[in-house]
Amino acid sequence: MAFNEPVLTKRIDADPGKRKLHFYDDYVATGGYKSLRAALDMTAADIIKTVTDSGLRGRGGAGFSAGQKRSFIPREKKGLHYLAVNADESEPGTFKDRYLMDYDPHSLLEGVAITALATQVDVAYIFIRGEFHHEIKVTEQAVKEAYQKGIFGQGGIFGSKHKLECYVHMGAGAYICGEETGLLEALEGKRGWPRNKPPFPAIAGAFGRPTVINNVETLCCVPPIIERGPAWFKTMGTPSSPGPKLFGMSGHVNKPGVYEDELGITLDYAINKLSGGMKGGKHKGTICGGISMGVLGPEQLDIKLDFDDVRFRGGCLGLGTAGMIVMNEHTDMIRALRNCVRFYAHESCGQCTPCREGSAWMKKILDRILAGEGRARDLDMLLELEKSQGIMPGTTICGLADGTAWATRTFVNKYYEEFAAKCPEERPTQMGIKRGIRNVTTPMGSNTR
Amino acid sequence: MAWITENRRTATVERRSEPYLTEEIKAGLTAKYFPRYPNKRAVLLPALHEIQHAYNWIPVQAMEEIAAFLEMSPAEVLDTATFYEEYWLRPKGQYLLQVCRSLSCEICDSRKLTDHLIKKLKIEEGESTADGRFTLVELECLGACGTAPVMLINDVLHENLTVETVDELIAKLPASANDYHDPAVTWDEGDGH
Ligand SMILES: Cc1cc2nc3c(=O)[nH]c(=O)nc-3n(C[C@H](O)[C@H](O)[C@H](O)COP(=O)(O)O)c2cc1C
Ligand code: SF4
Repeated sequence: MAFNEPVLTKRIDADPGKRKLHFYDDYVATGGYKSLRAALDMTAADIIKTVTDSGLRGRGGAGFSAGQKRSFIPREKKGLHYLAVNADESEPGTFKDRYLMDYDPHSLLEGVAITALATQVDVAYIFIRGEFHHEIKVTEQAVKEAYQKGIFGQGGIFGSKHKLECYVHMGAGAYICGEETGLLEALEGKRGWPRNKPPFPAIAGAFGRPTVINNVETLCCVPPIIERGPAWFKTMGTPSSPGPKLFGMSGHVNKPGVYEDELGITLDYAINKLSGGMKGGKHKGTICGGISMGVLGPEQLDIKLDFDDVRFRGGCLGLGTAGMIVMNEHTDMIRALRNCVRFYAHESCGQCTPCREGSAWMKKILDRILAGEGRARDLDMLLELEKSQGIMPGTTICGLADGTAWATRTFVNKYYEEFAAKCPEERPTQMGIKRGIRNVTTPMGSNTR
Repeated sequence: MAWITENRRTATVERRSEPYLTEEIKAGLTAKYFPRYPNKRAVLLPALHEIQHAYNWIPVQAMEEIAAFLEMSPAEVLDTATFYEEYWLRPKGQYLLQVCRSLSCEICDSRKLTDHLIKKLKIEEGESTADGRFTLVELECLGACGTAPVMLINDVLHENLTVETVDELIAKLPASANDYHDPAVTWDEGDGH
């Protein structure tokens, strides 16, 4: 396994000063849209098989097989099929999709067009979060060019019989619209409330029709796979997590930024080789793939960053988006967790009680600990709340609550001493209750800071 | 907090005689967005964005007009509009300063920026200056963690900020926000296709 040349970032210079936005002409001049032309000569089943054989797993967080997801779309077409591109990137620590859209928007569009061929999609919506003003403008311009160049529109893809429309849909500031069914609701003009599954989007997605939903980076992997084949793709990464991956490095490192390497590099390599080493002190912990995945502790630098090792040896939910937030020894882990939990309390869509109330209570408990009034049972309470929310215990509709749970679980367990020091056994309960209750009966939402 | 409710029974709706949703905006929405979706309701998010773009916020009367235009009930429009934080259902300043407060930014001292702006503008987080020029808010992850701390000023993202660079940015803002654009957009935006 080796990573010898940039794949997703082949048009993005490592030197920030030399980076250049590639519109259509630059894209084609550097080999763009060759894969789409090749895909036009393949059958839908062949495209799906190629993507499945490559072992490509979703880059949006869940790591689900991209090929398999395509195969769930009904072969026999009874109406419109849709593709929704998930460019809602709002998971704290994640900033890789922005990077791709900023410099190489057509690689996404080529991935969209190839995926549309494979699943007989008629309309593709690129759902971009509303705060990405620049990326929305870039993508809209790229889509406009693609219409002019005969990729999208009723003339058919490069004059073929496959017709594809493609539109940018602008979000409006809600993390939960990154959850795939929340995204579909937002697309339909409703609140971004995740749907109960089944039915899954592949059967009844946008406007009740079969819909493929993929992350930006996942789709950007598709053109190189078509061009160079699954065997080549598998020369990178690990057997169960093949391919290249963008690692978003932020926090206390000397050279934060997005770096491309293969899946399965170690955390130590990501920190010391990719992003220039620790800044301001020794390593204390790293959020491994957006805060929902939890945190890797100080002694876990040897964990391999792929979809399995982070989970099975690292004790986190998974690799997630590979957006790493690196923290040095001076970081207050209670504050860090409180920041994460506040995020969930703020972003919970409010449909499920364990998520809505649980996250708000966890935030209040952490506020109390930070105010110097922590009690030993606060930690028990945090761990109890954490265990009872999420789709894994089966109490919520979507995975946002699992994010709250895993962040809390990993922080409290891996830095237990630090938490326990602020939550002494002998603090008089009476006083705690008196003050605690005053604290926690402030109306919901009156203090979201 | 999308699920915070508000007592609207006693709320009075301010009205004006001319519509917010002008014939021109309607024509624009019809031409650009109706062909994109299989039903009218899906045009709601774009319609709310258009109104906010035109008036800098979304008055209740405008929501009623959108409801009539998209053949929905006003309650459904309100239901959707209140969910999304980007929609301002009360007026905001000409320049919206949004400082990211999520983890990467927090550990890179974003709090200093907010505290500085609170002192500088003499407003609390969430408030606007009396002259209507600035509104200051903190928001969750802007997806630019590698260049933390970051802040959005209207549509433009500013990265790797310090208290000093924030002061410079603010001093350089044009008198009218209409003249404030993303310098990296060098192509003619037109109005889509
Ligand atoms: C609360 C929540 C937020 C999510 N946010 C995003 C997001 O911002 N971007 C994204 O691509 N996937 C996000 N996902 C994952 C999507 O639900 C979905 O799995 C993904 O878009 C599928 O694409 P992929 O198979 O290409 O990874 C989120 C999931 C949850 C539960
Ligand atoms: S788990 Fe939370 S965010 Fe997800 S649907 Fe339930 S309340 Fe909403």
